[in-house]
Amino acid sequence: MDTSSIKIILQILHYLFFGYAFAAITSYIVLSIISGIETVKYKRKNSFVNYKDILSSAMSPSITIIAPAYNESLNIVENVRSLLSNHYVNYNVVIVNDGSKDDSLEKLIKAYDLEKIDYIINEKIKTQPLREGIFKSKNPAFEKLMIVDKLNGGKADALNMGLNIAKSKYVACIDVDCLLLEDALQKMIKPFLEVTDAKVIATGGVIRIANSCEINGGKLVDVNLPKNLLVQSQILEYLRAFLLGRMAWSRLNGLLVISGAFGIFDKKIAIAVGGYDTNTVGEDMEIIVRMRRYMEEQGRKYKVSYIPDPLCWTEAPDTYKIFISQRNRWTRGTIETLKKHRKIGFNPKYGWFGLISYPYWLIFERWAPIIEAAGLVYFAILVALEELRWEYALSFLLLAYLFSVLFSIAAIYSEELTFHQYKKKGTGFKLVLLSALEPFVLHPFILYAAIKGNIDYYFNKTKKWGQMERKGFSTVQT
Amino acid sequence: MIDFQILLEYYNEFPFLVKLAWDFSVVLSILITILIVYLKFVRKHLRKIEVDNLKFKNEYEGLLIEYLYSEEEAVEISEPQQVILEKLKKHVPIKAKRKVIISVLYKLMNQVSGEVTDALKVVYQNTGLIHYALLRLKSKKWYVIAKGIGELTRFKIDSAEDEIKPYLTHPVREVRKEAHFYFVTLFQFEGLSFLDKLTTPLSEWDQIQMLEILQKFSDQEICDIKPWLQSKNDTVVLFALKLANLYNQYEVKDLLMDLLSHENKTIRIQAIEVLTHLYGIEAKDVLKANFNELSLEEQISFFGMLEKLVIPDDEPFIEKHLFHKNFEIQLLALKILKSINIDKYLGLNKLPSNKKSLAMLNLTDTI
Repeated sequence: MDTSSIKIILQILHYLFFGYAFAAITSYIVLSIISGIETVKYKRKNSFVNYKDILSSAMSPSITIIAPAYNESLNIVENVRSLLSNHYVNYNVVIVNDGSKDDSLEKLIKAYDLEKIDYIINEKIKTQPLREGIFKSKNPAFEKLMIVDKLNGGKADALNMGLNIAKSKYVACIDVDCLLLEDALQKMIKPFLEVTDAKVIATGGVIRIANSCEINGGKLVDVNLPKNLLVQSQILEYLRAFLLGRMAWSRLNGLLVISGAFGIFDKKIAIAVGGYDTNTVGEDMEIIVRMRRYMEEQGRKYKVSYIPDPLCWTEAPDTYKIFISQRNRWTRGTIETLKKHRKIGFNPKYGWFGLISYPYWLIFERWAPIIEAAGLVYFAILVALEELRWEYALSFLLLAYLFSVLFSIAAIYSEELTFHQYKKKGTGFKLVLLSALEPFVLHPFILYAAIKGNIDYYFNKTKKWGQMERKGFSTVQT
Repeated sequence: MIDFQILLEYYNEFPFLVKLAWDFSVVLSILITILIVYLKFVRKHLRKIEVDNLKFKNEYEGLLIEYLYSEEEAVEISEPQQVILEKLKKHVPIKAKRKVIISVLYKLMNQVSGEVTDALKVVYQNTGLIHYALLRLKSKKWYVIAKGIGELTRFKIDSAEDEIKPYLTHPVREVRKEAHFYFVTLFQFEGLSFLDKLTTPLSEWDQIQMLEILQKFSDQEICDIKPWLQSKNDTVVLFALKLANLYNQYEVKDLLMDLLSHENKTIRIQAIEVLTHLYGIEAKDVLKANFNELSLEEQISFFGMLEKLVIPDDEPFIEKHLFHKNFEIQLLALKILKSINIDKYLGLNKLPSNKKSLAMLNLTDTI
């Protein structure tokens, strides 16, 4: 290959990288604008809603909270207490102890005065069998609680057991360690009851980070910004993703994922599609894609809704090791889901879902780390070949950095002007500082985890879930 | 100055794209700086609003409680009450203060009852708050109108009926909904007359809210729901079915029977459920005769009806469906059989495992 051919190839690559970056940035801007408009609309619509009647009405639809638990002995009793303190009247809680090796079950039996009961399970979805059986409390104060002890089958299998057991019309699938605000259920059920021109199949909520927040009796009493830089950076990342991203996708009815930490589903549709896929580590995304695909194939008008209120708080990884393991899993989950449902991509039969949502996820979520890593390698090659034009490299690097800072600041504004959770003095300055630091303290690790996730997906098929070490929330005494 | 000149010359030598990138970077840097500085003011302002609101809240709460305790039997508004009203009147034109006064008034209204509520309504009217709520109805913004109607509903201002009536058919759902709630809150069952001509859908959320409002009244004398059961608007029919169920409307059984063949499946299912509640045994024969034409959900609902209204004559029908393809129906059929013929039910246990239905296998332990 002569020099001119190499130069032409390099030129093409320049334009490809430039075009990709330009498209990504444009999409972020467009999504942010749509999110902003949608958030304002949401706040206006909900500023005069009376939630009290729904929450106390016997006619409000029943909801079953399904919370899978595996070796959660440290916090299980407190976590269940939090789930039982919801203000909604017509709900029950099913804790699926997924073959825990610790003393979770014993602790629950003792704390909630449980006894074994006979319960006929309509096994609409195949799951691992029961181990110790099904338990209910002898104490009427905990009549909403049911504990299912089964053999280990993973989170998806535990959720499927919950789907088989639930008798209600709607199911709220939640991580047991999540802290739900008392008004979470009535806010999340609203779209199901309100939309009349389409069937709402699922509603997702914002996930907020609870590290360093103060919890009392299963209730959030004080929101604090954690001291750990990694956790702080994740707070900013979550604000961006939830307030500037998902809100827009909700408006476009293009949401492909509802966080596994908290989402409400139409049980009938969830069962009709076969429940959660036990062969993926991204079961939360996969079930939504499958439910959407099912509705599209049935030719039914549907919607996946999203509520921006901070209703669910969870513990985020506070060490890089756990963080990388989590993001590695998210990457593999995305790859598995998109691969499994590749038929949808660019397929006009699936409308917006096939032509916009799926391609966006494929190009700007699935491919993003690969293209970024390829860009870095390309950069190194150019340096080695002394072909790098520094004036271009530095100016675009600076522009990209400034855009990322601006985007984070936009997310902070969105939070301040809507939900304003980080009220304490000095927090605003810290968040702004984080906007400048995050590209260095968080992004490289996200990229590393995503690349590792790709490698693990293709070359280490046996890798499943990573471990998440729970430290528990800070609690205050009354 | 010289440095700047060098930089400018250096910049001018850049290719177009690099120049553009630097230009954008400068713009973004300026924007970021402005936003950071402004964020400080925004946060300070939000904190100040919170502190002020708390201060106003305490002040108005004190004033309103004092107002309630200053009541004198002989006069409608006593002198000390008039002084308080004048004081509040001065604060009402300020939007932020008005908002707090309304929220405190509403909070107090929820905590008291009877004559005290009327006294608070007097405050609402005599301080001019009502004037601002009525002004909202004239706004071009839908959310301002909806908030205005909501406020007039909360303070039960029946004199605004004529102003709110046009909004019953407003194109924005939120405005329409608030107008519906206003009429139901103030005029109870009579207020439901808008259902006669309603063409827009009434969401499940709105239906539940209206039923809750209705149930708060002491007078539970319901109006004639027959026209709504025959409405062309399916959501109105569904709402009427809920009313029939909640208020035990035995007199509409014939119409409920007609609804068993309605083209909307949800209506048919709900009609079965209401007939079950109203002891509509006459529906059993109709549903039995058409059982195979019913959707699975209707079949399950019908078995739910049989569970409550079964008689020994139903046994052959039940037996026929012990091996229905649906587990729920199998289970219900078994339960019903157990209630009418325990010997036959126990006899099922003698069947070999491969001849048993899934429900029978599950129930073996309890047989």
